[in-house]
Amino acid sequence: MNDKDGNEIIIKIEDLVKKFGKLEVLKGVNMQVRRQETIVIIGPSGGGKSTLLRCINKLEHYQGGKIYLDGKDIDEYDVNQLRTRIGMVFQQFNLFPHMNVLQNLTLAPIKVKKIQEKEAVEKAKYLLNKVGLIDKIDAYPEQLSGGQKQRVAIARALMMDPEIMLFDEPTSALDPELVGEVLDVMKDLANSGMTMLVVTHEMGFAKEVADRIVFISNGVIEEEGKPEEILKNPQKPRTREFLRRIL
Amino acid sequence: MEAVLELFKNFQFLLIGAWETLKLTAFSVGIGLILGTFIGMGRLSKIKLINYPCTAYVEFLRGTPLLVQISIIYFGLPQLGIQLAPYPAAITALGLNSGAYIAEIVRAGIQSIPKGQYEAARSLGLTHWQSMRYVILPQAFRNILPALGNEFITLTKDSSLASVIGVSELMRAGQFVISRTFQTFSIYFGIAFIYFVMTFVISRLVRYVERRMATA
Repeated sequence: MNDKDGNEIIIKIEDLVKKFGKLEVLKGVNMQVRRQETIVIIGPSGGGKSTLLRCINKLEHYQGGKIYLDGKDIDEYDVNQLRTRIGMVFQQFNLFPHMNVLQNLTLAPIKVKKIQEKEAVEKAKYLLNKVGLIDKIDAYPEQLSGGQKQRVAIARALMMDPEIMLFDEPTSALDPELVGEVLDVMKDLANSGMTMLVVTHEMGFAKEVADRIVFISNGVIEEEGKPEEILKNPQKPRTREFLRRIL
Repeated sequence: MEAVLELFKNFQFLLIGAWETLKLTAFSVGIGLILGTFIGMGRLSKIKLINYPCTAYVEFLRGTPLLVQISIIYFGLPQLGIQLAPYPAAITALGLNSGAYIAEIVRAGIQSIPKGQYEAARSLGLTHWQSMRYVILPQAFRNILPALGNEFITLTKDSSLASVIGVSELMRAGQFVISRTFQTFSIYFGIAFIYFVMTFVISRLVRYVERRMATA
């Protein structure tokens, strides 16, 4: 599936509706993600940013609309298969505290992808090197700083060779001085050609790394465009107001 | 004086009973753990066909006396054509009973683990069962170890009820000694003392394991 400019569309979201009880959190979201694109999703809290991400890997059920991966409705994939293709990084890291770093990384590849332990360990070492934490391979999560935890969490997600990475406010739980190291890893990842959807309030990151910024408010995409367009010259009053408050 | 003498003379006999009590309790806790783990998970299922029976099980077994449960299994079931010897009947009753209590402990243990742990596991492609087995339950069991220790202690004491259907555990052994010696006070006191030593040792063991797991 390609868009009009011939770019490959990896994810297509059509009229997505998500309700928590009576509360409508997503009110018909339409969106396309091109392969290798980095999209930063911004917007006021409670606007539906995280929920949108969580619908894509089916951590949330949605009530209306469709999501396509590679042109196929995600409901037609086996859910666990789908999730191995979509990596996710959480605000609270969610490392497994009873396992060391290596075990955190190798659990899913061994149990889900059934790869040999030796191969998984090699891969874990390679990725830990990439995120600069090879010396923490035997450490337990509680021995790591927040920034280190999040870098391990990114490496853990990458162990499954995902085609897309979802980042749900990856730096919001970090002390300010630890934000940079995580953003650097994400930047490298974006530059390596990973398709990324990032919910964040880090406007510097958005400006520098994003191919597109999507502004979500009240459950709809209010505005989207290139970072310079959105950040410098927002068209909608809501966007203007939001940016004025956070910049 | 004679009372103390009789206690000493029969102490070895009581210890054999105590050993039986320990075996009976261990088997029952084993059954209770397996049963309780699954029922505890079932209590948290969103599927009503799983959730409701598990809830009913827990409520019924916690809401009826163990002595009645033992009686149903040993005296009641034969009328339906199921005849169990005293020992298997006691293990069944105690196992089913502790299963209900352990289910509640396991349920609380699972609920004590932050939701993000399960979501992280599932987002990596692990199935529900794999997430439970490798991520949730190991953490839950660490948290509920003290509660499980309490259950073990409770069951050690409750196993004395198996004496009413003729299982030769500590209580029954003591009654047997009394029927020969008529030394009710010293023998019952001796029984109490042995129960106390057993539960005390178990509670220390649990605390030791707990501490070791905390530092691990």
